[in-house]
Amino acid sequence: MGEGLASPRPLGESRTTRLLLIGTALAFLGIFLFVPLVAVFVEALCRGVGVYWSAVTDPYAVSAIRLTLLVAGIAVPLNLSFGVAAAWAVTKFEFTGKSLLVTLIDLPFSVSPVISGMVYILLFGLQGWFGPWLLAHDIQLMFAVPGLVMATMFVTFPFVARELIPLMQEQGTDEEEAAVSLGAGGFQLFWRVTLPNIRWGLLYGVLLCNARAMGEFGAVSVVSGHIRGLTNTMPLHIEILYNEYNLVAAFAVASLLAVLALITLVAKSALEWRYGGELSRGGGS
Amino acid sequence: MSIVASRIAKRFGSYQALDNISLTVHSGELLALLGPSGSGKTTLLRILAGLDFADTGSLEIDGRETLGLSPRERQVGFVFQHYSLFRHMTVFDNIAFGLQVRARRDRPSKAAIAERVHQLLDLVQMEWLADHYPAQLSGGQRQRVALARALAIEPKVLLLDEPFGALDAKVRKELRRWLRRLHDEMHITSVFVTHDQEEALEVADRIVVMSQGRIEQVGTPTEVYDTPATAFVFDFLGNANRLEVEVTDGRAHLSGLALDLPIRLAASGPAIAFVRPQDVDIGKTVEATMAPAVVRSIVTIGPTARFELDVGGHLIEAVVDRERSRGLDLAVGDHCGVRLGQVQVFSRSS
Repeated sequence: MGEGLASPRPLGESRTTRLLLIGTALAFLGIFLFVPLVAVFVEALCRGVGVYWSAVTDPYAVSAIRLTLLVAGIAVPLNLSFGVAAAWAVTKFEFTGKSLLVTLIDLPFSVSPVISGMVYILLFGLQGWFGPWLLAHDIQLMFAVPGLVMATMFVTFPFVARELIPLMQEQGTDEEEAAVSLGAGGFQLFWRVTLPNIRWGLLYGVLLCNARAMGEFGAVSVVSGHIRGLTNTMPLHIEILYNEYNLVAAFAVASLLAVLALITLVAKSALEWRYGGELSRGGGS
Repeated sequence: MSIVASRIAKRFGSYQALDNISLTVHSGELLALLGPSGSGKTTLLRILAGLDFADTGSLEIDGRETLGLSPRERQVGFVFQHYSLFRHMTVFDNIAFGLQVRARRDRPSKAAIAERVHQLLDLVQMEWLADHYPAQLSGGQRQRVALARALAIEPKVLLLDEPFGALDAKVRKELRRWLRRLHDEMHITSVFVTHDQEEALEVADRIVVMSQGRIEQVGTPTEVYDTPATAFVFDFLGNANRLEVEVTDGRAHLSGLALDLPIRLAASGPAIAFVRPQDVDIGKTVEATMAPAVVRSIVTIGPTARFELDVGGHLIEAVVDRERSRGLDLAVGDHCGVRLGQVQVFSRSS
């Protein structure tokens, strides 16, 4: 993309127009994305490294970091398998209700996360539809880790499936048919033929899914109950610190979250740079 | 290992893809399924392979009822039209795939697999490309890898779906002759699908001509070409003049011209007559049993000359060799005589 903008083209806009467009885009990105990001780190470190360190090693902060990693560690692999299964079903088979499934996959993108959290409370909360039954069996979903995982999974469900569906549609079922005709079973088919063809798209989807899972606030906030040291994830912990006017600690934890996001972005860009051709072509060598 | 298919039918929604197909493929023969697109030939091939399922009918391969078996149990080699090579595997791994996915007790040792793959690479003359990926190969090379891959599992029968369809004309010709020679060496029962009549006539031992889910004719290339069973076969097999005629008293009339012909049609009424361009005889003058005609165009291609003649308002194509054309010494607009030999007449309903 950068190449197309930089090199003069016979039908391209004039130099001034191009500079103006690029300038606007960069200025916009700078003001709304880059400056705030820098501000997070500046604010976090403004009282020195010692204060920063004690903020991120505070027991509640450590517990929030652990919980965030735990929730992402459960939700992402589950969504990985659901996403692959959904993409497989949609692209390799014809069945009734297929378009309904495709629409449902997109639902979390269009529904506000807060609503999804509320729905879970309505279903599984103490006053909810299944609340009495869960209570009778001593199962606590809401205001506990399972609820956090469920809410996170709901919000991040589309990432893997959305990444894979167009890729697998483009690849079709030719290679799978060839594998079947050569005697491959279902499992061999998946591991030896399908998975190698979608691996980069899959990794990309997982990275996006992970970034969102760690940063999710709305849905998680509703089902969490904000119990410090127990059900507080990093975004929730940041909010609490902020509401207590503990700005340095809030920004210190926020900076950790930002670093996680940056690592994800860098990994994604590295993948694009290294395997860009294969990603767009749809896997393979 | 023979294939016996009987009364196979297949429907896609309201579309009858195959209508009661019965067919026997003899052991060791190379059979062509020939027909236009939509004739059901690929569907039939896929049913033989177990990649599609018949609604009704039965299928025996090597004397064993096969319709209920999975592709894996059928041991059928399938070559796809667009090769369908595994893009993330080298040529070697593509060919080895069918052996590597076998259950542990049936799987040859690593060394045995490697030996088999190298034998096959040698057979398809691609030994030096073993480490290449499909994307690095030409179309003809990919098709040869696909063939080696299908042969690796030592199939009882080999099925090929438009094996040369995606290749350019020159490679296509080379590869089909090569396939014929390969078949003569290996004698594996093979069925290939094609819409190219020239390909079927040149390569196959026997041809099955299909149209709209039915078999029109089964026979050797000579039988099918010389004595087409239906108007469809005549039309499809090649470049014939198609004339709408009227049959009365065992003679076909083409708007005033009586064609004195060996007619296989007793019933009077409207009919369709076919005559191949090389069976049309041209005379410098209107000789006995000839009809008057006017030359509309002459195109000389290589060793033959193609005439377009106006016979009483009907355009008839004639092909004569170049020497003869020179002898005739005709130019566009000249009057000449024309005689139709080897005409076949089919009633309109067939």
